[in-house]
Amino acid sequence: MINSGFDERGTVNIEIVHKAFSGSKGSLLALKDIQLTINPGEFVCIVGGSGCGKTTLLRIIAGLETDYEGAVFLDGKKLTGPGLDRGVVFQEHRLLSWLTVHDNIGFGLAGLPPEKRSRDIRHYIGLVGLDHFEYEYPHQLSGGMSQRVAIARALAGRPEVLLLDEPFASLDALTRMRMQREILSIWEAERTTVVLVTHDIEEAVYLADRVVIMSPQPGTIRNILPVRLSRPRDRTDREFVRVRRAVHGELFAPGGMAQVALESL
Amino acid sequence: MSTAEQNQRLVWKGATAELTAKPPDNFERFYISERLLGWIIPIALLLVWELFARLGILPQNWLPAPTVVGKTIYELAVAGDLWKHAGITIARVFVGFVLGASAGTLFGALTGYLPIARKLLDPSLQALRSVPSIAWVPLFLLWLGIQETSKIALISVGAFFPVYLNLSVAMRHIDPKLLEVGKLYRLSSLQMIRRLILPAVLPEYIVGLRSGLGLAWMFVVAAELLGASSGIGYLMVDGEMTGRAAIILASVILFAIFGKTTDWMMNALGRKLLGHRAR
Repeated sequence: MINSGFDERGTVNIEIVHKAFSGSKGSLLALKDIQLTINPGEFVCIVGGSGCGKTTLLRIIAGLETDYEGAVFLDGKKLTGPGLDRGVVFQEHRLLSWLTVHDNIGFGLAGLPPEKRSRDIRHYIGLVGLDHFEYEYPHQLSGGMSQRVAIARALAGRPEVLLLDEPFASLDALTRMRMQREILSIWEAERTTVVLVTHDIEEAVYLADRVVIMSPQPGTIRNILPVRLSRPRDRTDREFVRVRRAVHGELFAPGGMAQVALESL
Repeated sequence: MSTAEQNQRLVWKGATAELTAKPPDNFERFYISERLLGWIIPIALLLVWELFARLGILPQNWLPAPTVVGKTIYELAVAGDLWKHAGITIARVFVGFVLGASAGTLFGALTGYLPIARKLLDPSLQALRSVPSIAWVPLFLLWLGIQETSKIALISVGAFFPVYLNLSVAMRHIDPKLLEVGKLYRLSSLQMIRRLILPAVLPEYIVGLRSGLGLAWMFVVAAELLGASSGIGYLMVDGEMTGRAAIILASVILFAIFGKTTDWMMNALGRKLLGHRAR
C-alpha cells in the first residue's frame, strides 16, 4: 500500500500507535492511535489546545522524537531521525545570533558548492522579502522578520515537507495576519507539503486544505475537516465563519455536532 | 566581491543608516561633559595631594608628591631598571596566563561537553578552587623552588579557574533549542562543537579570559612580593626595604597601567571575535 508509485514527492504517512513521556511522576501518554496521510503539496493544519500532543506529533515527523511506537513514512520511506527532506520552523526563530541573515539561511547548505549555495540563499532571501537585510544580524530584526529568516532557512535545503510549530504565535496580531498571507504565497511558489501546528482556529481555517483537530489526554485525532474555500480567503466571509465555527464546535463541544453543519456546506 | 554585491552592500548600509535614529546634536555635547565629570575627583585629589606634600603636611618618606612619583618612574625608565623589571613581570604573566587559560579551556570544554567528565572532575576542581590560591605558595616554593617555575605555577592557578568555570558553565547552559537546530541539519559532534557550541559560548569564554588575566596580574604581585629578585613586585619590596615610598607608589602605578592595558587588549580581541554581536 505504502510502496505504490508516487507521482509527486512529499507524501507523509503517519501511523503512530503510541508515544509516552516518562517523567518523575510516572509516564504520560502523549499520543495514541494517530493515523494520518498527508498528500503531496497539501497544506494541513493541526489544531488543538495545549497538551493535546500536536507539537509532539510535529516533532515526531521532524525526527526530533524517535522514541515512540509506530512509524512515520515520507514517500514510503520510514523516517528514523531528522533529515534535509524536512524543513522545520519553531515558535521561536532559533536563529544563530553570530551569523548574518545570509549565513543563517545557508546554515544547512554547508555541503553545497559555494556558487550554488549563494544562489539558493539569494533565492530564499527574495522569497521571504528580505532583500536588503542579508547582512543584518538577528538582533537587528523584528519578530516577523526573524521568523521569515527561519522560514527561509527551513526552505533552503529544498525539503519535501515544511513543518511549522506555531510559527506565528509570538507575533502581534497584524504581523501574524501578514505572515499568514505570505506563508500561503511561499507555499504556492514552492509547492511543498506543509504541516502547520497552531492553537489559532482562524489561522487554521485561513491556511489549510484540511484541518486536523486533536483532543488531549491522550492526544488523539478527533476529526479532520476539509476546507473547500478558494484562496485568498476572506476571514469575514460567511462560509469562512461557518467553517471556523465548525472547527470551534469540534474542539469544544463533545459529540461532534459540528460535523453535520460542515457536511451541509 | 563582485560589483553587484558591493552595490548590494551599499544599499544595505544606506538602509540601516536611515533606520538608525540619531541622538539630537546637544545630546552628544552633554555626553562628553558627563564623561569629564569622572575626572574631577581624581584631578582634585592629585592637586590636594601635591599641595599637602609640597607644604610638608605629609612627610616625604611617607607619601611623596605625585610629581615625585612621576619623576621616580622617569628615572627608572632612563636607568633601564623599569624595562628590565616590567619585562620580566609581563613575561611571567604571559606564560602563566597562557598555561592556566589553556588548561582552563581544556577542562572547561571537557566538563561542559561531557556530563560524565563533569561528574568526574568538577567536584575535585571545585574543592581545589575553595583553597585561597595564595595558600599554595609555600607548597609551590617547596616543590618547585624559588625560581620562575613556582611563580608561573601560581599565576597559572589564578588564570585557570575563571576560564574553566565560565566555559564549563556556559557550555552546560547552552540553549538546547539551538542544539536542536544542529540536530535538524544532521551535524556531527565535531561540527556541532565548531558551528554551534563554540560560537554560542564565545561571549562567556571571553569574560572568563578577561577575569583570568586580571587574576594573573593579582597573582604575579603575590609571587613577586613573596620571593623574587626581579619584577615590579620586587621593586615594591625593594622600595619597602629601603624606605622609599616613591618606588612603591611608582610600582603600584605601573601595575595599574599594565593590568589595564592588557585588559583593554583582551577586550579589543573579544570585540573583534564577537563582531557584530558586541553591542
